[in-house]
Amino acid sequence: MNALIKKDERLLHKVESFPIKGFLETSLLDWCGKLSAVLFLPGCNFRCPYCHNTELVLQPHKLPDVSMDYVLRRLRKFKGWIDGIVVTGGEPTLQPALPSFIRRIKKKNWLVKLDTNGSNIDMLKQLIDEQLLDCVALDIKAPLNEVDYYRATGRCFIIESIKECLELLKSSNIDYELRTTVCPGLIDKKKLKQLLPQIKGAKRLVLQNFRPSQTIDSRLQHLMPYPKEYMQELGQMSEGYVNELRVVE
Amino acid sequence: MLVLKAFWQKNCPRCPQMKTVTEELKQDGYVVEYYDLSTVDGLAEGAYHSVMSAPTLLLVDEDDQELAEWRGVVPSPDEVKREWAMM
Amino acid sequence: MSLESRMAKKTTHLKNDFQESTDLALFVRTSNEDMDGWNRQKIVAALVRETYLDVETAERISKEVEDVIMSSKIGVLTSPLIRELVDAKLIEYGLEKARKMHTRLGMPLYDVDQLILRPNRENANVPHGPEATNLTLAESIKKEYALLSVFSQEVGDAHMRGDIHLHDLGFCDRPYCSGQSLEYVKKFGLHLPNAASVAQPAKHAEVLLAHMVKFSATLQGHFAGAIGWDAVNLFFAPYLRGLSDREIHQLAQMMIFEFSQQAVARGGQAIFSDINLYWEIPKHFADVPAIGPGGKYTGLTYADYTEEAQKFVWSLFEVYLDGDASGRPFFFPKPLVHITEKFFQTPRHQEFLDFICKVASEKGNTYFVFDRGDTAKISQCCRLSFKLEASDLADASQPWKMRYTALQNVTVNLPRIGYLAKGDDTTLFSKLTDVMELAARAHLHKRVFIEKLLALGELGPLSILSMKHDGSSYLRLNKASYLMGMVGLNELVQIHCGEELHQSNKALKLGLRIISHMKIVSEKLSKKHHLKFVLEQTPAESTAYRFAKLDLRYHSPASGAVVKGDLSKGEVYYTNSTLLNVGAPINPIERVKTEGLFHPLITAGSISHIWLGEAKPPAESLANFVTKTFHQTQNDQVAFSPEFTSCNDCNKTSRGLKDNCSYCGSDNVDGITRITGYFTKTSIWNKGKKGELTDRHRNAELFTQKMNKVRNLKEVI
Repeated sequence: MNALIKKDERLLHKVESFPIKGFLETSLLDWCGKLSAVLFLPGCNFRCPYCHNTELVLQPHKLPDVSMDYVLRRLRKFKGWIDGIVVTGGEPTLQPALPSFIRRIKKKNWLVKLDTNGSNIDMLKQLIDEQLLDCVALDIKAPLNEVDYYRATGRCFIIESIKECLELLKSSNIDYELRTTVCPGLIDKKKLKQLLPQIKGAKRLVLQNFRPSQTIDSRLQHLMPYPKEYMQELGQMSEGYVNELRVVE
Repeated sequence: MLVLKAFWQKNCPRCPQMKTVTEELKQDGYVVEYYDLSTVDGLAEGAYHSVMSAPTLLLVDEDDQELAEWRGVVPSPDEVKREWAMM
Repeated sequence: MSLESRMAKKTTHLKNDFQESTDLALFVRTSNEDMDGWNRQKIVAALVRETYLDVETAERISKEVEDVIMSSKIGVLTSPLIRELVDAKLIEYGLEKARKMHTRLGMPLYDVDQLILRPNRENANVPHGPEATNLTLAESIKKEYALLSVFSQEVGDAHMRGDIHLHDLGFCDRPYCSGQSLEYVKKFGLHLPNAASVAQPAKHAEVLLAHMVKFSATLQGHFAGAIGWDAVNLFFAPYLRGLSDREIHQLAQMMIFEFSQQAVARGGQAIFSDINLYWEIPKHFADVPAIGPGGKYTGLTYADYTEEAQKFVWSLFEVYLDGDASGRPFFFPKPLVHITEKFFQTPRHQEFLDFICKVASEKGNTYFVFDRGDTAKISQCCRLSFKLEASDLADASQPWKMRYTALQNVTVNLPRIGYLAKGDDTTLFSKLTDVMELAARAHLHKRVFIEKLLALGELGPLSILSMKHDGSSYLRLNKASYLMGMVGLNELVQIHCGEELHQSNKALKLGLRIISHMKIVSEKLSKKHHLKFVLEQTPAESTAYRFAKLDLRYHSPASGAVVKGDLSKGEVYYTNSTLLNVGAPINPIERVKTEGLFHPLITAGSISHIWLGEAKPPAESLANFVTKTFHQTQNDQVAFSPEFTSCNDCNKTSRGLKDNCSYCGSDNVDGITRITGYFTKTSIWNKGKKGELTDRHRNAELFTQKMNKVRNLKEVI
C-alpha cells in the first residue's frame, strides 16, 4: 500500500506546477452538512469590492505555494472524517489545468465541490459532463444585467455565461446552490426583487451577509453590515422562488 | 517497518490464544511487541491506539498508523501474514 | 530553659500575684455586641476550655496580659485584641500548639473593606453584592478553619505551596457535588427535615417543577458545587400526558428561567445546575415502571412516554435557541444531551441532532455527552460524570435511589513535578505517586470530617443529607467518589521533554504515560483505603491561574518559559487538565481525536472544547462532526463555544467579542462566552482566564501552514 501511495504522489508531483495558495484542513462552513477541506486557487477575473481574499485575487504571487504532496499526506489522516474537498479561489475556472487537477482528486475518492463565479461556462460544462463534480456553488453577485453586474464585479459581458451556468446546473443532476453576498450599496430589497425572478426554480439560495474585514475596496471596511432583522426580511422575500433557502447573518 | 502490537491482560480468557498466534509469527520472523494493559506503559500504549479491551492485535507502520486491527478477536497466523503481505 | 523556669522568671515581677481585677474601670467590646466589664477570668476560662493548658498556667498568662493592658493606654478594648495579646503570650512561652488551638479566625479591616467594595474574581458565577460578600466572608473563615482543623498541617501546607489544590475549602463542611433523580421528589414530595411545612408528591407538572427548583436550592446549601438532575425530560414525561404543545413549551420556558434566574440564592450565586436529557429512552429506564402525578405508579413504563419526553426536550431546546429577553444565551441550567448507540436507532434522531446542533451553533448551550457501549453517565459539575456500574444499573429499576456524590476534589499541580524531576523519568513518576498519596490523605481527612457531621443525623448541620425517606440516607456515602484532578499536563510534558502534547508523538505518548500512571496509582490507592478515588478533568477556573502564579514565584526562571498567557499583564495560566494548548492552531478533528485518547483513562469525565468565536457553522455540518466524534473517537464529551457581545444600552446581543455594540455603537457592553463549563460575562473573569481567552484558538484562522496574510480567506467553522 505504501508503495502505491508513493507512486501516486509522484504522479501528483507532476501537476505541482498547478498552484494552490491556501489549504484549509477542515471547514464546517464551506459545504453545508459536510466536513470539507478547502483548496484556494489564485487569481480572479472579478473585482468585487467586498471580497475578503484581497491578496489571493490581486497579488497571488506573494503567497507561498502549498504542495499537493503535503495536502494529500495531511488529508490521509482525516479519511473517514472529511467528506470532500472544496475547490475555491479566486476563481478556480481560470486555471486551464483544473479538470486534470480535479480528476486526480477524484481518483483519491474524495467528493469535490467547486465554487465559481460562472464566468467560464465551457469549463463548468466540461467538468459536469465528465462527472467530476458533486456540488457546485455559483455566485450570483447582482441582478443578471450588465449594469448591476458591472457595479458589483467590475466586469462586463459575462451575463450570458452566468445565465448559461445557471441553466446548466438546473438541468443537471448534481447538487448546487446559488450564493449571494448581501452588501449594502450593492444589494438591497429592490435589487433582490429584480434578482429573484431571474433565478426562480433554483435548488438552493444562500443569502450571506457582508462582513467588513480585509475587503478589496478598503473603504468598505468601515461599512456596517445589515442588521439581522433585515437579513431575515430578505429571506422572507425569497421564499417561494427557490426550493431551499439559507440566510447567513 | 511494520510491527505487530499485542495487548493483553491477566485473567483475560482469550489472551493465551492470541499469544500462541503471535509467538508463532515471532518464530517466523515477524516483529511482535507485547503490552500488558495493567502496566503504565501498556495502558498508555493502549490508550494511544484506543484499545478498550484485551486481547487486541494491531498491525502498525513506522508512523504508528494502524494498518490492520483485530479487537477482541484472535486472527489466525495466516490471516495476519496475508494482511502484512498486502501492506 | 524549661517552661517552668521561664514561667517563674516571668512571674517574679508581677507584684500582686492574686489581686483580683474586677475593680478596674475597663470595658471590653465583646463579640456578643455588648460592653462587658474587664474580667481576667474570662481569659483563664477560654484557655482552659479551648486548649490543653492547666488552670495555673492559664492564670499566669491572663495576669501578664492584664499587666500589658493596664500599662498601655488602650482606648477601645475588644475581645479579638485580648485574644491576640494572649496568643502573643503563648508564643513567648513557646506554647505553639496551645496558640494554634486558641487562634482566632477572621479578616483584617482593610480586607473586609475591599471585599465589600470590589467583586470576587475566584468564581465568575458569583455576582457582586451584599450576599456575595457574606459568602466570601464566610468562605474565608471556613477556609482557615479547614486548613487548621479539618486537614493535617502536611496537607494544608501542600495546598498553600500549590503542590495540590483542595477545592472549595470555604465549603469544607459539605460534600463537593451531587447528582439526583427527580423520582425522589416525585415519590416523596418535598419533605425536608427542619422545614416549616411538608409538601405531598406533586400532582401537576408546574408543582413538580417548583419542587425541583426548591430542592435544588436546598441542595445548593449542602453541596459546594454542581447540582445535577438525571433524565429530566423523561422523568417529567408522565406529568405531561394530555398537555398541549403550548403548555409543554410554557413549562420548558419556566424551567429554564427558574434555574437561570436563581441568582437570589446562596451568595447571590445562580445554582450551578445541570439537566441531563435524552432523545431516546435509555435502555436502563425503558422497562422501569413510571411514576406519575401524586407519586403513584401510572401502570406504564417509561418507554410508553417516549412522545412526551421527546416533546419536552424539543421544547427545552426551543427555549435555549431563543435565549433570554435580550437574546443572550442562558447560563444555567446546562443541558447535557446523552448520545448513545440507541440514539442512532431512534426515529427522528437526525432531525433532533440537527436541531440541538443549531442551538450549539447559535447559542452554544448544548453539551454532547457520549455514552458508548453500555455506559450510562450522569454529568453534573463542569465536566464531572459518573459511569454507572452494574450495581447502579440495578438501582435504575428504582430510580429514586440514583443519587451520587463526589465528596471532594483535589487537584495535582502537574507542571511543578516537572520542575522537580529535572528531566528524570524515575523522579517524575515517584514524585507523582507521592503527591497522589498526599491527595488521598486529604480525601481521608475530609471523609472523617463529613462523617462526623453526618453522624449528628437530623439534628446536625447536614440534616437534609441524612433524611431517610427510602430507608437509606439521602447522601449515599458508600457510593461516594473522591476526585483526583490534574492541571497542566501539557506544561509538564513540555518541561520534561521539550515539546507540547500536540507537537510530537513522543510528547503525546509521555502525556498518556503520565495519566496512565495516575490512573493505576488511583486504583491502587482505592484498594488500599477502600475509597473510590477517580481521576477527573478539573475545571480549574482559578486553579490553573493559581498554580501558574505560584510556580512563577517558586520555580522561576524555568516556569517563565512554559507558563501560558501574558506574563507582563500577570494574565498567566496553565493549560487545563489534559487539554491541548488552547491557542495552538489545531484542527478541530485532531483536537477531539487527540484529546479523546485521554478520556477513557479519566473515569469521572472529560470534555473537549471547540471555540467558535464569531463563526456560526451550519447545524448539519456540526451534526456531521458530532456523529463522527461519537463513532470514530473515544471522546467523552464535546461543547462548542461561541462568543457574544451584549449591549447594556439597547439590550441587543450580537456575535463575537467586541468593544462596541454592533447595533447602537455603545461601549457599555458585556462580553459573554464559556469560561470553563458555563457561560458568563468575561468582565468578571480572573486574570488567568483572561489570558486564556486572548489565546483561545477560534478555528476561524485555521491553516496548517503559516499563512497569516491570508488568514481571513474564509472561516473554518
